[in-house]
Amino acid sequence: MEPIKTEIVVVGGGPGGYTAAFYAADLGKKVILIERDKRLGGVCLNRGCIPSKALLNAAHTISAARESAHRGIVFEAPKIDTNQLRAWKESIVAKLCGGIGMLAQKRNVHVIHGRAHFEGSNSLRVETEQGQQFVNYEHAIIATGSKPAMPKAFDLGNPRIMTSTEALETEDIPENLLIVGGGYIGMELGTVYATLGSKVVMVEALDSILLGADADLVRPVMAYAKKNFKEVRLKSKVLKMSTSGKQIKVESEFEGQKKEELYDRVLVAVGRVPNGDNLGLESTKVQKDEKGFIKVDSNQRTSDPSIYAIGDIAGGILLAHKAFREGRIAVDTIMGEIGTADKYVIPAVVFTDPELAWCGLTEAQAKAEGVDIEVAKFPWGASGRALTLDRPDGLTKLIICAKTERILGVGIVGVGAGELIAEGALAVEMGVTAKDLSLTVHPHPTLSETVMEAAEVFYGHATHTLSKKRAE
Amino acid sequence: MDVKLPNLGEGADSGTVVSLFVKEGDRIEKDQPLMELENEKAVATIPSTASGVVAKIHVKSGDKISVGARIITVTESAGGSTSAAAPASAPREEKRPAAKPRAAQPVMELPEDDEPIEAAPVAESNGDVAASPSIRRMANDLGIDLTRIRGSARGGRIVLDDVKNYIQKLTRAAQAPKAAVGAPTAEKPAPEKIDFSKWGEISKKPMTSLRKIISRRMVENWNAIPHVTQFDDVDLTTILELRKKYLADYEKQGARLTVTSFVLKGVIAALKKHPIFNASIDEAAEEIVFKEYFHLGIAVDTEAGLIVPVIRDIDKKSLLQISKDLDELAKKARDRKVSPDELKGGTFTISNQGGIGGAHFTPIVNKPEVAILGLGKGAMKAVVRNKAIEARMMLPIGLSYDHRIIDGGEAARFTVDLLQALENFNEADVKNGLSA
Ligand SMILES: Cc1cc2nc3c(=O)[nH]c(=O)nc-3n(C[C@H](O)[C@H](O)[C@H](O)COP(=O)(O)OP(=O)(O)OC[C@H]3O[C@@H](n4cnc5c(N)ncnc54)[C@H](O)[C@@H]3O)c2cc1C
Repeated sequence: MEPIKTEIVVVGGGPGGYTAAFYAADLGKKVILIERDKRLGGVCLNRGCIPSKALLNAAHTISAARESAHRGIVFEAPKIDTNQLRAWKESIVAKLCGGIGMLAQKRNVHVIHGRAHFEGSNSLRVETEQGQQFVNYEHAIIATGSKPAMPKAFDLGNPRIMTSTEALETEDIPENLLIVGGGYIGMELGTVYATLGSKVVMVEALDSILLGADADLVRPVMAYAKKNFKEVRLKSKVLKMSTSGKQIKVESEFEGQKKEELYDRVLVAVGRVPNGDNLGLESTKVQKDEKGFIKVDSNQRTSDPSIYAIGDIAGGILLAHKAFREGRIAVDTIMGEIGTADKYVIPAVVFTDPELAWCGLTEAQAKAEGVDIEVAKFPWGASGRALTLDRPDGLTKLIICAKTERILGVGIVGVGAGELIAEGALAVEMGVTAKDLSLTVHPHPTLSETVMEAAEVFYGHATHTLSKKRAE
Repeated sequence: MDVKLPNLGEGADSGTVVSLFVKEGDRIEKDQPLMELENEKAVATIPSTASGVVAKIHVKSGDKISVGARIITVTESAGGSTSAAAPASAPREEKRPAAKPRAAQPVMELPEDDEPIEAAPVAESNGDVAASPSIRRMANDLGIDLTRIRGSARGGRIVLDDVKNYIQKLTRAAQAPKAAVGAPTAEKPAPEKIDFSKWGEISKKPMTSLRKIISRRMVENWNAIPHVTQFDDVDLTTILELRKKYLADYEKQGARLTVTSFVLKGVIAALKKHPIFNASIDEAAEEIVFKEYFHLGIAVDTEAGLIVPVIRDIDKKSLLQISKDLDELAKKARDRKVSPDELKGGTFTISNQGGIGGAHFTPIVNKPEVAILGLGKGAMKAVVRNKAIEARMMLPIGLSYDHRIIDGGEAARFTVDLLQALENFNEADVKNGLSA
């Protein structure tokens, strides 16, 4: 078959890939988008952000009902139909993926479903169900994403040992669930299953869950886990797993002792690995790092001048909004729009209960790097809105440059922190000062007031809490 | 913790790194010299403002840096991250005093129009700068270095107007290269490019920043000041006798008694009698400023070029003290350790070539001073005294002055009084400091 000629080919139809393809098409480029799945949307839509948040929201109804008992509103114990739950979640995913497909069509982005394989710096082959298709391109953007890591020792081929992908299918609600890994995926799915009724045991090798977030912000999340999980074991390691009838026998080590336990299911959430193999990158000049992520510069250029890489495959923080931004940077660079890419803030959100979100500099980071900062905190116990929500277990904290009073970072734990952090991201990006935040009128009663009041704490005159006078 | 380039005093807020004294991993103490910086007028040694282990060096020799630029990062201990436990409030207290001198700095001192363009980088990259993402994007597209712009909004945030002003400034600077230097030569044609190698072997060497400064200042002074030089010869006999007599005593006190010290002391009488030589012109106010203090500049010939450190309050000092100060300052100048402050505030300058040779010469007045005294090499001359020819040791002098405010008669009178003071140097003044 004659090779198709195109200006830009995007490999991978996840958030990075479709953003890049759409943006390039909007700028008038001829674009081909290649996706091996039947649906566009990648991990994010099919087996990541969206389904996990759908399940978390469904689970939230249960906990909200349970927590309302002391307010005098009592519900019966919930009946859970996992088939119905799955179908609802699936309908959301289908709708979003369909939407992406429709948007591609309207933009004249030529979508090819099949597996891409590079043949050189300017040509690739796609294995489709209808056979091979060749593409000659001027520029390629690789956005093949990542997949869950599954250590060989746990990979018994037993479906009861799950990754996030299977866990999101909610085939059943296991009575005893072991979660290996206290990162955000383990914590989020642990929250889902614990609320649906599983006895969750979480095992984390490090001395804290949610690495990267400041300890004071992690505390309320940890408190939730301690209350709602059967157990959280820090500094603990799973050594071995084996099949034992309909269960999994797990050998682990905790507090110097070996344990042997039986679980109905195990969720392995120990990180993600890049989809960089079997891409034919050997026939290009693209280079990978020792972990298999593609090496890029701040403009998303790989070592091959005609090839760019974005999203999870390019390493760094593996989040969908990072992929969105990188997709745009790659296209802008191809269009000759930006000489040097800017540094930007990537907020992180953990959708646990309460949510935990932060952006910019963390307190721990500032201290490690010797940045001269001051920290201002507003505890939610003093927020009227938090009390009406019956959720005083929150904290808003600002990391402030001691010299310029600029907001360098924001951290929030509490219900809705994921939404609130957007103001923090804007503040850091705009280079606003604590004064700016304190002078901006925030609507009452809302949780957003905690951001303004934290800034007032910095100056020693927050209305709803007592704070130390600031030395001038 | 970062050690940043401190404010070096007025006018000298940037410079070129000459050499570094520390390397990564070194343990340093507060006030220990970090590097040498060649700035406006001299090479200054920059001391560390913190102690600890050098974790990272951010500059290399040849870098042009400005006040506030990061020089090194130090950590408390060799481990580095152990400092993470330090309370956040402590470092802030330390930072505060560093900020103060900046506030006290007179804003008017910036000598050049293009100075703000090279203002202290406030951050490392456009991404670290306080500016909205759209402005950062625009700067990146235009290739503008936002770290060189001082933001006008709260907290130093850069807004669109700041960028516009900066671009206008850049455009102006590009359109009028060097036009700001010396008003009369504003229309100076572009320097002609000459290929000297056409006529034989050549070699090239870049002008150091000190050399560039000297050359710029000389042009400025020469153009701005109508110079007249008054010549004469001083009979050194008395001074040399006194010198011989007291040399050993001075040496015992750790001082070198030189002709220059005598002249420094002797010129004060003439300056007191003719205060116009110790004055300056305030051009803006069209006023003459008379100074009640006598700070004399000494032109020192160093390997890197001419610098003029200042000895303060000569009128209040004994000859012994002056000799000591002179020695120390000359040594500092040659070791490139003169601080920028030591180059400021002079009221009159003495330039002595006597150690090298040569007779009369016409020194160039060191603005904003209005007069300068050049000393040649003393030599035996046939002099007529009491109608007889005698061999006397004569010192050739040349007094250049600013003819805008000093008239010829004034200069002649000054010279007569100076000769009188030096030729009849008071022995008591030589002995004075010794007894103490
Ligand atoms: C359970 C879970 C929850 C998450 N929650 C969040 C969240 O709340 N917020 C957030 O920001 N992020 C979240 N993430 C992370 C987010 O999903 C990823 O960061 C994001 O999907 C990365 O986008 P991407 O475009 O780089 O790659 P992906 O989404 O991984 O997409 C890559 C696509 O490339 C395709 N592909 C791979 N190889 C080939 C090939 N050779 N040829 C053709 N196609 C190929 C794949 O089929 C896939 O569709 C979550 C992830 C998981 C697993």
